[in-house]
Amino acid sequence: MVNSREKTLTILKRELSITTDAINEPVLLARRSMSDGMGAAICFLGVVRGEEGADSITAIDYETFQQMAEHQFKLIFDEIEKRWPIESLRLVHRIGMVRVGEPSLWVEVISPHRGEAFAACQFLIDEMKRAVPIWKKPISRRSQSAG
Amino acid sequence: MQIKVTFYSYFKDLTGCGETIQDVSDGTTLAALYTQLIARFSKLAAMEKSTLIAVGVEYQPRTYILKEGDQVALFPPVQGG
Repeated sequence: MVNSREKTLTILKRELSITTDAINEPVLLARRSMSDGMGAAICFLGVVRGEEGADSITAIDYETFQQMAEHQFKLIFDEIEKRWPIESLRLVHRIGMVRVGEPSLWVEVISPHRGEAFAACQFLIDEMKRAVPIWKKPISRRSQSAG
Repeated sequence: MQIKVTFYSYFKDLTGCGETIQDVSDGTTLAALYTQLIARFSKLAAMEKSTLIAVGVEYQPRTYILKEGDQVALFPPVQGG
């Protein structure tokens, strides 16, 4: 059970990056910081699969409406802050061409207990897929070899 | 008044452009704007129910009444992750 002090904890660290740069996990992990009261740090990595539906693909080309995407992520972060005691929330979404096997999404949530960290991470990704203007165009292996 | 409309994702392919300017009269709703755009870009008709519409960086319902300076974005369901 979460006590009232924890419920009002504001997210001390918010980091959002929507970038064409490759996601560099070691660098991101090296920048992790947790206060003594935090007992849970979870990371989620979304990786491009080699199949999209029945099609074999080589990459996904991600497009965004960046200004709106940043705003919608902020709204989601605000909602998470209301619902769970989260100390740190960091998210990187890659756009542009991301090859199969490479990560397109990296999320880290730090909280006092695992329950709220998992719940907040799940909520964040669900809401992102509902509201954040990012689209993907799979690059088919067939179309690429035909070209 | 003139409203700038931007298309994202495969809506650019459906319309053949990334953005356009649409002349509308005072009191025009987003629903009415969409109808006017279908008259110019017929392939949008099939997407009418699933289209997401934003004004600026906020989603707005079809009943939203356009104002001078509004920038509208039309796009298909989002697919981040």
